[in-house]
Amino acid sequence: MNAIPPFDADLLRRYDGPGPRYTSYPTAPQFSSAFGESDFREAAKLSNGDPIPRRLSLYVHVPFCFSPCFYCGCNRVITRDHSRADVYLTRLVREVAMVAPLFDRDRDVVQLHLGGGTPNFLNASQLGEMMESLSRHFHFSSSPKRDFSIELDPRCVGSSDIEALAFLGFNRASLGVQDFDPVVQAAVNRIQSVEETLAVIDACRKHGFRSVNVDLIYGLPAQTAAGFGRTLDTVIAARPDRLAVYSYAHLPQLFRPQKQIDASQLPDPEAKLGLLQLAIEKLSLAGYRYIGMDHFALPDDELSLAQEHDGLHRNFMGYTTHADCDLIGLGVSAISHIGDSYSQNPRDLPAWEAAIDNGRLPVWRGMMLWADDVLRADLIQQLMCRSEIDIAALEARHGIHFATYFEEDLQRLQSLAADGLVTIEATRIRATARGRLLLRIIAACFDRYLHQPRSEPARFSKMI
Amino acid sequence: MSDPALGRPRASAIADDGDALRFCSTCAFSAACLSQGFDKASLNDLHVLVEHVGPFHEGEHLFREGDAFTAIAAVRAGTVKTYVLDPAGQEQVLGFFLPGEVIGLNAIHHARYPCNAVALDTVMLCRFSFPKMAMLATRLPGLQAQLFRLLSQDIGKAALLAGDYSSDQRLAAFLVSLSRRHAERGFSPSRFHLTMARTDMANYLRLAPETVSRVLRRFQDEGLVQVDRRELEIVDAARLQALARAVLRD
Repeated sequence: MNAIPPFDADLLRRYDGPGPRYTSYPTAPQFSSAFGESDFREAAKLSNGDPIPRRLSLYVHVPFCFSPCFYCGCNRVITRDHSRADVYLTRLVREVAMVAPLFDRDRDVVQLHLGGGTPNFLNASQLGEMMESLSRHFHFSSSPKRDFSIELDPRCVGSSDIEALAFLGFNRASLGVQDFDPVVQAAVNRIQSVEETLAVIDACRKHGFRSVNVDLIYGLPAQTAAGFGRTLDTVIAARPDRLAVYSYAHLPQLFRPQKQIDASQLPDPEAKLGLLQLAIEKLSLAGYRYIGMDHFALPDDELSLAQEHDGLHRNFMGYTTHADCDLIGLGVSAISHIGDSYSQNPRDLPAWEAAIDNGRLPVWRGMMLWADDVLRADLIQQLMCRSEIDIAALEARHGIHFATYFEEDLQRLQSLAADGLVTIEATRIRATARGRLLLRIIAACFDRYLHQPRSEPARFSKMI
Repeated sequence: MSDPALGRPRASAIADDGDALRFCSTCAFSAACLSQGFDKASLNDLHVLVEHVGPFHEGEHLFREGDAFTAIAAVRAGTVKTYVLDPAGQEQVLGFFLPGEVIGLNAIHHARYPCNAVALDTVMLCRFSFPKMAMLATRLPGLQAQLFRLLSQDIGKAALLAGDYSSDQRLAAFLVSLSRRHAERGFSPSRFHLTMARTDMANYLRLAPETVSRVLRRFQDEGLVQVDRRELEIVDAARLQALARAVLRD
């Protein structure tokens, strides 16, 4: 069932548009500054009280980049001043020392992800210091199944860096590529050679990394089918275990770096869809499987295997084989998901720094989920990981009558069913082969916050 | 003036839920009256003794060790934990009381509560003035018998975990006991919410918190139970009961 869904231009054209990607439900715009430090402490305490407390997943955000990629919508700080890494690290270590004791020591860390920005802005000894601090304050799982991953910018990986990362315990890497076409690279201000990229993939394999992921983006300025096709061929030849193919959304009013992009160079919607079609055809032919939401994997990758055995999960860091963990986010802008709570650190560096310097947990905003949120999060998780909703299972777990509870949502779903995106049966709602590339559109039918009358300014276009 | 033990009655102190025959679906005493065939008049006598108190919020104390004993109380909603502090100031959990169960019985002898009682979540109580209840019991043999039954149950419960049992046996006995108590009140015996924190459970069972989780995880791997956060499902009741038999002696 996890073959790559057929490309359907007409359908994708009609449903193309910005919207939440549901790495969480409710989505981050619902977080409120009424949720603070004491709520975080309470959520941590409550999570320790479970009879089998959840294992832990750590996310560490490193915001620095040497140069700005113009397409970027991430939280980052552009600098060439390496001393900033040391200053950041000092506070990060303090945050770890404040947060870790809130969690019982027998809660193993089974997943660690370093994201950015550019995590390898930190050099090997700085990363070593960070890992030393994390492993001293948390208990790292010793299982070979643990996933310790890092996002790498191949442009700043030195020859001995991968070996050092392996030594520190990292076993997964995710490489940003986007497109190898030099014209595109110039237009997005990210000049990166094929050679240095392949060298990093080779080094990861040589030093025992369990999997390598490559990120590509379609819809970038000056991108052409010929150029993107060559990029796909080059990447596929390197056989990364996983691939993400993201759509570029041009929202310069929301993401300031995108103002540098010349909008007239962007491919028109038809051309953009053609790029996706190309990617799907080439990946399909090369034997990759569709995991869901822009993600592809080789058939023997753990994600593909997990999908077959119903062991797939999804959190802020993407798809994972680890069953529900409590997620602790560390560093500027990082998001935590503990028990039935979400919380986020300040997005701006000075606010995060001030909290740490004052000995406070840097909680900027968050929310407690109520029963309806938990139910819908469960439903959306099923959709994203299994492309279907098991109605009986949801009814049993949440004590509801599905058809009554979701009456309005099901009405919204009717037009999607008419378009052949979903089939609605008595016991299950299934994304069709056509619908599986549009899981977020199906999920959006069940998003209560998208459909309730708005009492506050528009959520997906708000500037801070 | 501090609050009276077991809380201050609400403005309307008379229990007012349920119908004329049954005050409250979970009341520890309603069955006793009904089974004896008491008429409305005698039921009303009992009714008059009952005050609804609460809600008590999580962490709030219902009474503390040494408080003067004036009343026993049936839990209407929530879970109550009783505990004492040992000479080193360490908490020792004595027990957990679910809806329909009665707290304060161990205070009858000394006229003072010998332990602390704290709400683990939002707790509602039916408070029975003990002097009045003792008086009524002389007229209602069914009530007296029910009181004796509750007392002996309370003593039995405390003795259960005193033996030299393995961690598996202790935990199995705890889960089987919770399952039976839920069943008695008409709730599902196989799927219920664990209202007590892991540390409380561990303290009560005289185990380390890590041990509670380790054993439960193994029970789960072996197909005895399924645990999701605080939701517990008993998958193989027969095997769990077999493990619990040594402790529960049945």
